[in-house]
Amino acid sequence: MDKKRAEHVLDNGVKVLAEFLPLKTYIYFPVLYSICVWAVRRIFDLKERVLAWQVWLEPGMVESKPDAFILNFFERTEGVREAFAEEVRGKDMAALRKSFAGLYPVCGLEDAFLLALFQEDLEAGEFRKIADEFGERAARAIEDIKPAGSGQEFWRGMQSVGMEMARLGIHVMSDAQVRKIILDRIRKKVKKDED
Amino acid sequence: MIRPRSPWRPVSLAFAFLAVLLLAGCSSHLKQAKFHYSEGQLRTRAYETAQAAASYKRALLEAEKAVRSNPSAQAFMLKGLAEAGLEKWPDAEKSFLQAFALGFAEGEEWARDVSLLGLGSSLDELGLKDAALRSLADLVERAKFKPVRTEAARRYVDLSLAAASGLDEKERTRALAAVARTLEKLIDGDFACGFYHYLLSQTESHREDYRKSFEEAAIARELGLPSEKVLRDNDLQILYIHEKMKERLSPDDGKAFDELYARWTRKWGWKDPLTPNWKRE
Repeated sequence: MDKKRAEHVLDNGVKVLAEFLPLKTYIYFPVLYSICVWAVRRIFDLKERVLAWQVWLEPGMVESKPDAFILNFFERTEGVREAFAEEVRGKDMAALRKSFAGLYPVCGLEDAFLLALFQEDLEAGEFRKIADEFGERAARAIEDIKPAGSGQEFWRGMQSVGMEMARLGIHVMSDAQVRKIILDRIRKKVKKDED
Repeated sequence: MIRPRSPWRPVSLAFAFLAVLLLAGCSSHLKQAKFHYSEGQLRTRAYETAQAAASYKRALLEAEKAVRSNPSAQAFMLKGLAEAGLEKWPDAEKSFLQAFALGFAEGEEWARDVSLLGLGSSLDELGLKDAALRSLADLVERAKFKPVRTEAARRYVDLSLAAASGLDEKERTRALAAVARTLEKLIDGDFACGFYHYLLSQTESHREDYRKSFEEAAIARELGLPSEKVLRDNDLQILYIHEKMKERLSPDDGKAFDELYARWTRKWGWKDPLTPNWKRE
């Protein structure tokens, strides 16, 4: 894959995002990462997909899980297991159940947008922070993207990023490489703006 | 004899032409609404929640145009269906009532179903759990409008499972058995609804009948689920049950179960028996 070309495409994506969402830099990564995940699967109906982010926050599945299921989630999910070792050892179901509500959509159901939204915390192993802030941060991100959502130019710009990344063969990159290259381009742009 | 040409004739023709255009426009809005609504249903069946929501939104826009230009029972019914697809329940209720007023016979019943679903939610939000449960149970049994019956079933199961967790062992067993019976009745009436099997699988795991829970989750996956979110939750349930079964079965039975389990997961295209295809590396 032509890395220089991929960087150029992502720079264009960051430029579009900066134009439509100038003060919301925290949302650039979730948007670009989701687009790249979908590009691997050759999915380009971005507007519809983004509209569905809200769906992930609404019920639709059975939320009441047995204690054993919740315990199993905390025992089997890497990172989460270590962060909540004390509660798991003591079978503190009240505390585990409360944190499960925020962690299960991110670390269990793994929506691309939610994964990216909490990327920094996931990398830092801040699982408690994710559990505590999930509802508020996810709802804010959806609110923040709404103003850009009404512009056709925005969607065209995002769509061309996805199509170009698919054409360049993004599927050959690992998930970690994709995340790194996107974060590098965003950081470069933010730094340039600050200078 | 040549009749004198009426001075109004060009105007009448223009009006007639305009009327034809307007009627064509109405029918084309209705057609478009039907097309997008069907598209939404197809997308829903393929777990494509995002596209389904977008199709329902387009169907609603077209139905609203049809209602504005020619308020007919069919236009209001389509508007209500699109609103129900988007879970805009109060709007759907109004549309069905208007469709009924214009001659759509089932409109009144559908509107009542939607209204009862709203009542169940309000009672739940107000903390009147028992009343909410009774209202939802009634709806699960009697609702004529399928989207309402399905949504009522989900809420009924969720509320019942949450309520059962606070009961003593004997009461809990009895309450969970009642939920399972209700779901089995629903399945008897509509075996092809994957979502009912998903609900039963969730309930059976509360009852710790893991074999039954696995069977129902596998059937749900085969028949289809309404969204990617539910599909993934069902997959995680399958993984959880697999572990629980391994703990409980004798080595021989465990081996037989593993073989069956591996066959299913291969059929579903999982990366390996413990990794669904949507899971990150």
